[in-house]
Amino acid sequence: MAARFYAFLLDWMIRLVFLYAAAIVVTLFGGLGVAFFLILLFALEWLYPIAFELTRSGATPGKRAFGLKVVMDNGLPVTPAAAVTRNLLRVADFLPFCYGFAVFSMLVRRDCKRLGDLAASTLVVYQPRVAPRPALAEVTPVVPMRRLAPADQAALAALAVRAPRLTVERLDELAALAAAVSGDAGRSGPDVTRRVLGVAQWVLGRRA
Amino acid sequence: MTPLRFEELYDAEWSELEALLDRYHGRRRQPVTSTFASVTTDTSRGPVSGARLAELYRRACEHLALAQARAYPAYMLDRLDRITADAHQLIYQDRELGLARIRSLATRDFPRAVRRHAPYVWVSALAFLVPTIAIGLLVYWRTDLILSVVDSATASSFDEMYSPNADSIGRLRTASTDWVMFGYYIRNNIGVAFQCFAGGLFGGVGSLLFLAFNGAFGGAIAGYLVGRGLSDTFFPFVATHSAFELTAIVLAGAAGLRIGHALLAPGRLTRTQALVAASRETVTLLYGVTAMLCVAAVIEAFWSSATWLPAAAKYTTAAICWSAVIAYLTLQGRRAG
Repeated sequence: MAARFYAFLLDWMIRLVFLYAAAIVVTLFGGLGVAFFLILLFALEWLYPIAFELTRSGATPGKRAFGLKVVMDNGLPVTPAAAVTRNLLRVADFLPFCYGFAVFSMLVRRDCKRLGDLAASTLVVYQPRVAPRPALAEVTPVVPMRRLAPADQAALAALAVRAPRLTVERLDELAALAAAVSGDAGRSGPDVTRRVLGVAQWVLGRRA
Repeated sequence: MTPLRFEELYDAEWSELEALLDRYHGRRRQPVTSTFASVTTDTSRGPVSGARLAELYRRACEHLALAQARAYPAYMLDRLDRITADAHQLIYQDRELGLARIRSLATRDFPRAVRRHAPYVWVSALAFLVPTIAIGLLVYWRTDLILSVVDSATASSFDEMYSPNADSIGRLRTASTDWVMFGYYIRNNIGVAFQCFAGGLFGGVGSLLFLAFNGAFGGAIAGYLVGRGLSDTFFPFVATHSAFELTAIVLAGAAGLRIGHALLAPGRLTRTQALVAASRETVTLLYGVTAMLCVAAVIEAFWSSATWLPAAAKYTTAAICWSAVIAYLTLQGRRAG
């Protein structure tokens, strides 16, 4: 919801800047220029979102900047018909004022659809950038001291992956919670952390 | 199997799929030094081997399912999630628009859609024409009633726009050329049509209101001008482009009514399903409406406004345009194929 609002704001500002620039150029051309300006106004108002949503990125520049894109309900790229429908129904979303119905619909629905999305069966989804593969700290693998349930294994692997991004103190705190796996239950400190991370390495597949 | 072993086994396939997707999107990313296998990344944008793509996509889906079931680390799940979603979009995309599609829209789909929605078109036409005629007659009968619609300055500007000695009929005082009016008509009229459509989302009431309001406004102006004795410039002006403009606005309203009806009486579908189905049907109407309004804007700006054309010429083209539009909507695309 917040991301969509910011994306809308950014798109709005992009269009405003574009119009302002066009207005300056247009004054040099007289009548033909004014006609061009009016058509541009129409295009930016109605066609700008349609055109951008039909590109391969499936998002207006604003949406892309905030990691959003428009897809069909079934995860496919948005079809021209759907892009047209969701953007023409913007008028209805705008009512009674300031996108009142859109905001209401997005707040009450779990899938955060506005009315145009409902009619076009589209969804606005997050398209986060995939983080590069994290580098795993080189720690000597340690054989766990007890059987690890799948959930425990997942938690340890997640800790090992997150380790480089945590502060030392926080890492120690988190490792202390899992200290039982290396037989250090109840203790904490850099040595315990190293052993817990060692078990995580073992879980991920490293062997001494 | 441990996560690292799993990644080691299949990383080459995932990287190949990533490379294929990047090539399709024409994306350039820093050559990722693959941890396990050296993959030759060809960054030139171009066609992608479908068979190989499908194979890699299926494999990646399988791996994603396994990785999820085994709770492998999040970075691996994220990566598989992303490549399967991207490949899914590429494989199952639906190229709807193209020259062939536009041709079939113009020759078959649009007129057929109009006929299929005939009841809505009639209701929409009534909602538009009844206020037009009623208000038009009222204002014609008592010209001063125009002042309850617009202020006196606007009313006198109508006088000016349609006076026989204007150098271009229907031109706003601020507009210097026909081109300006062309831009104005595009922006204004298509906007009105889209509003008539979108209003349908409120059970069709919005469409009816927009139609009635625009009809009443147009009727008031027509009644006023005729009452002032300017019918000799006004009727030749509106006759031609109205074939496209009024029809298009009525059709946009019909599309809105279709949506409203789907919401009010969804039948055996849920309201959302009915809305989706109705919108999918009516989008064909909207393509046609937009095209018709563009034609109308060209005619209105450059033909209707011309003062050097005799009224007879304008009436003749008007008759031709009206018959062409009606024939197109009622006859075109009736044969199968």
